[in-house]
Amino acid sequence: MSTTTITTESGTVLEKGAIGQSIPRKEDKRLVQGQGVFFDDVRRHGTGYVHFVRSPYAHAKIVSIDVTAALALEGVYGTITGDEVAIHTDPFFEMSTPPGQNIKDYALAVGKVRFQGEPVAAVCATTRELARDAAELVEVEYEPLPALIDAEEAAKDEVVLHEEAGSNIVWSGVFDWGDVDKALAEADHVVKIKRLHFHRFSSTPLECSGALVEYQRGTGQWTLYCNHQMPGVGAIWMAPALRCGIDKLRFVTQDIGGAFGNKICLHPYYVVLCLLARKLGRPVQWTEWRTDQHTANAHGNERTFLDVEVAVKADGEMTGFKVKAVDDCGAFPRYEPLGCIIWAQVTPGCYGWRNIRVDFTQACTNKAPVSPNRGYSRMQHLWLTERIVDIVAAELGLDPVEVRKRNYVKAEQMPYETPNGCVYDSGDYARSLDIALELIGHDRLDERRQDAAARGKLLGFGIGSTLDSGTNNFGQSQLLNPELQFSGNNEAAMVKLDIFGEVVVTLGTVPQGQGHETTASQVVADIIGCSPEQVHVRPGHDSFFNSSAGFSGTYASQFAVTGLGAVKGAAELLRDEMIKLAAFVLQAPEDAIELADGMARIKDGPEEAALPFMALGAIVNANNAFLPPDFNPTLNHRYVYRPYFGVVDTEKKMGKLTLTYASQIHACLVEVDPETGQTEIVDYAAVDDCGVRIHPQIVEGQVHGATAHAIGAALHEDFVYDEDGTLLTPNFYDYHVPHTMDMPPLKTGYVESPSPVSPLGAKGMGEGGGGGIHAICSAIQDALRSVGAPIVYDSCNPSHRVWSMLKDAEQTRALVEVTSK
Amino acid sequence: MEPAASKTISVEINGELYEREVDARRLLVHFIRDDVDLTGTHIGCDTGNCGACTVQLDGQAIKSCMMLAVQADGASIRTVEGLGLDGELDALQQSFSDHHALQCGYCTPGMLMSASHLLEQNPHPTEAEIRKALQGNICRCTGYVNIVEAVKAVGEARS
Amino acid sequence: MLLREVEYARPSSLEEALRILGSNDGARALAGGQTLINVMKSRAASPDVLVDLAGLSELTAVSTGAGGLELGAMVTYAQLASSSEVEVTRPVLGEVAATIADVQVRNRGTIGGNICSNDPTNHLPPLLVALDARMTIVGPGGERTVGADDFFLGVYTTAVATGELLTKVTVPPPGGAGDGFAALTIGTDGTCIVNAAASVANGAARIAIGCVSATPVRATRMESKLGGDLGEASVRAAAEGLGAQLDPPGDVHASADYRRHLAEVMAVRAVLQAAARARS
Repeated sequence: MSTTTITTESGTVLEKGAIGQSIPRKEDKRLVQGQGVFFDDVRRHGTGYVHFVRSPYAHAKIVSIDVTAALALEGVYGTITGDEVAIHTDPFFEMSTPPGQNIKDYALAVGKVRFQGEPVAAVCATTRELARDAAELVEVEYEPLPALIDAEEAAKDEVVLHEEAGSNIVWSGVFDWGDVDKALAEADHVVKIKRLHFHRFSSTPLECSGALVEYQRGTGQWTLYCNHQMPGVGAIWMAPALRCGIDKLRFVTQDIGGAFGNKICLHPYYVVLCLLARKLGRPVQWTEWRTDQHTANAHGNERTFLDVEVAVKADGEMTGFKVKAVDDCGAFPRYEPLGCIIWAQVTPGCYGWRNIRVDFTQACTNKAPVSPNRGYSRMQHLWLTERIVDIVAAELGLDPVEVRKRNYVKAEQMPYETPNGCVYDSGDYARSLDIALELIGHDRLDERRQDAAARGKLLGFGIGSTLDSGTNNFGQSQLLNPELQFSGNNEAAMVKLDIFGEVVVTLGTVPQGQGHETTASQVVADIIGCSPEQVHVRPGHDSFFNSSAGFSGTYASQFAVTGLGAVKGAAELLRDEMIKLAAFVLQAPEDAIELADGMARIKDGPEEAALPFMALGAIVNANNAFLPPDFNPTLNHRYVYRPYFGVVDTEKKMGKLTLTYASQIHACLVEVDPETGQTEIVDYAAVDDCGVRIHPQIVEGQVHGATAHAIGAALHEDFVYDEDGTLLTPNFYDYHVPHTMDMPPLKTGYVESPSPVSPLGAKGMGEGGGGGIHAICSAIQDALRSVGAPIVYDSCNPSHRVWSMLKDAEQTRALVEVTSK
Repeated sequence: MEPAASKTISVEINGELYEREVDARRLLVHFIRDDVDLTGTHIGCDTGNCGACTVQLDGQAIKSCMMLAVQADGASIRTVEGLGLDGELDALQQSFSDHHALQCGYCTPGMLMSASHLLEQNPHPTEAEIRKALQGNICRCTGYVNIVEAVKAVGEARS
Repeated sequence: MLLREVEYARPSSLEEALRILGSNDGARALAGGQTLINVMKSRAASPDVLVDLAGLSELTAVSTGAGGLELGAMVTYAQLASSSEVEVTRPVLGEVAATIADVQVRNRGTIGGNICSNDPTNHLPPLLVALDARMTIVGPGGERTVGADDFFLGVYTTAVATGELLTKVTVPPPGGAGDGFAALTIGTDGTCIVNAAASVANGAARIAIGCVSATPVRATRMESKLGGDLGEASVRAAAEGLGAQLDPPGDVHASADYRRHLAEVMAVRAVLQAAARARS
């Protein structure tokens, strides 16, 4: 499987030395000793601790807020309310077209609260305990309003959340590619699915959000020691709101305890902290509580799919589908409505159908706002395509493996242009599926079914095919709102050679456990000609190092492409300059110089004809008098990697929306207890293809983690609201995430289909695509086939839902209708 | 002896004795992190489910967010900073790194305290025993696969 | 996550503990803290005074006496799970204790705390009802014993009154009984959704259902319908209609109807397990 060279998109041939090896992680030494620096570990003298006063109601008018009693408590430094925020800041920038564009989103609730837990005021005190005590003394009078907890209901606009917008619909539009009406007319079978529902959950990183914010009065400079995972965009929201220059917001991160997309929309909280730091003249610190993260940070998009119609030919070829999608974005859009287009990166899923229509509506409800949760928007759509394939196969009596292989985009077809102009760069889904099937012993399926039956259990076999599209073209936002000035993508990095020969890398990304320090050192080592141990990568992100570009951050499965692309570019600039300098000093032509083992030397030359890196560093930094006037090496280079996409077609809603497409094919066996509806996963395989694997162990770790997230979501994790808009799962008792004993034995395999379009042939792959959710839904449906064949219609199937399906299969069977010629 | 709203406590942490006055309401984890500045022990939830705050108290793995500092008066505590020696990783810490048993590292201190407690009581644990011992430590990054491998490897290396 | 102000005392004798508890209506006993500290963190309840029982070493003993297995109120779940005395006499206690949450909780959580908090989802209340345990309570009026059937009174309320302390739980010797316990939990070893405990001896059964009411419910009709026949068909037939007699709550994990159904399933499983272990 391994090769020794990679030919990159620019034609450079890279010798794989460190790349491809699972070298020890640089991050580990400090983390296993408890010496990581997470934002809550940062301490400043005179810090005030912040506690937010939050709305107990999902929807209410704020009649009055009285902070007098809170301010009177000894140890309280000060408070802030929505009225002050409305005076000192402007509402955050909205990306949608009207009416969504007219939503006024401030850092604290102004006049009205729109979700339970929404912050209405903040108290700052000498200790966390005192801030908490004082918060209880803030008196808020509310006038409750009816709570909207269903997006379809909200879309009727009978109760409106945002008066300035006049509607709850954030965005709506129809995407229509090919000719689905013709495909349906010509189909041999039309399968209709009335309703499917992708539920609300999130990856709940173990470290909660927060920041320590300092404000320097003399310069108007804010410094945020925080865990924002996309500071470039965070600053774009915050600076206009705070009416300051963007450079006045310095984001500093070091270690972050997971993010998974849930630390992208922290700007409202951070603006409150910035205002308090300025108002009170001291550093202020806020750490989110777990309950607050669940109720009032961000959830993943909840999406309902209605009136699906699928066109199927007699031989099992699926030629197209149409669907109405209703997306619930919670009380404020924020990063939305991007979710209304991001799914289009994977419009056909893994399949070759060419006729697809999606009628998409996104509405606000009185629930927590959403943010791009791991798998953002593609996961929901890929779940839809997998449910469609699974249900079609079950209803038409087709073998689930064969129907997938029949319809998968084939390896020979790569690069493959989808109906809406995206290009799948490479992949071999059928081969990945075969590996997954072998790993779970698919050939012994019947035997295992019988064995389970003898123990009173129902065995189910399921497949989940998914894609992890990475490196966004932000121009897709223009397909939603042609007036938006966002397009393309970028990431920055700096690499320098210091006076004593140390190679130092500064990343623009914001690592949260993905091992960026390690993989960046591998890339630089192979280019510069030294070992990864000799490459020092500064931990974390600091926008003051000018290492960031507008889209800097770690999100959307792109580090291996954009982050490492920037590192590669900077390292190559440094390498070329080192060669030029060495050539000058050694008085040899440039093409005779090679960099290897920490030395610059003449190829096949005498031993003396060599300079250690330290010599080069010393010349440039301290001993440069002998260099000619027209040769000015710096040995310090910044590179901005910019993937090329071209401009999107806003009329046809088409274009290259993403650069790379990693894939994961999952297969699993489950046993359902028909007495209780409990599902146990008894065998599980995940096969991933992310092109060239820079660090195989890190890749595999991401697959494990994404699978655990998917298993949790599929069987337990659900943000459920009651009719008053109260979140019923605000903590880890009721929102159950997988613990060690909840995880099945996980088998993994891989395929390496290099990407022809990325700098290193690697593809981003951190999100995964929710393959486990698709596979488990598929397996549960298979398990229940012999007991009435209910349809799995929801992405979350805890025991109570499975029991309902067992008790009344007819109820879900009524969701499906097949018409055959 | 009368109830008091604050108390001077004496706690041994990683072999060093700390004497501090604390409010009765102060949680042990906040005492460790904020009063003694040992920030390796982490907080991940507010209901005692996640185990990120796990330390060893009088030889037992416990969740330090579910205990008041005053309850630890007179106790001997070991935190992640007490593993290893003079900056050298112990066998378990090294095994975690070798097996990629940590990604973001946030659950890692608590995980190490639970795992080292297990290995002290059961030098060659099976996979099932490892999973049972780590059931109280949530990880959202690794799916636990490599964590279990790392602990198992330490047991196997000893035999 | 942050408690309100509170006062704390760690008495070194039972008398001192009772004195402090008796002198302040807002005083509460602090056992392992795995429930109470959580409750105080969320500020759902905020006692004025915490009386830490950790200094009362007489409450941590596991022994066998005339009345059977004697478990001090401060005996932890970990102790129950690892005690050879428990394993030899009433192993179900150790087996069930070993499934409560996780190692860290089991190192601190106590049998006394578990039953005195009387959370409807706790494991030990229905189990001790099935085992017909007896609870020893000490107060200003002296010492008294209350049977498990009369100990659990209402929502988070037991026979232990303000100013009193539970000191030990006595579990009668098995005398040929077999014990069983079954539960559906939120994830492995998680909070119970519905649980059931059973103890059968000489064809007679004591069956208690948990999570369906404020206190454990004795399934007395099922007990009498069994009529001495503990074969699978008889047990399943006896369980029919059990759910209809219950009025369980519905929540995010289970509807009332689902809990009714689970009560029957868990009762059958607990009884069959107990029957298999009973000495004929």
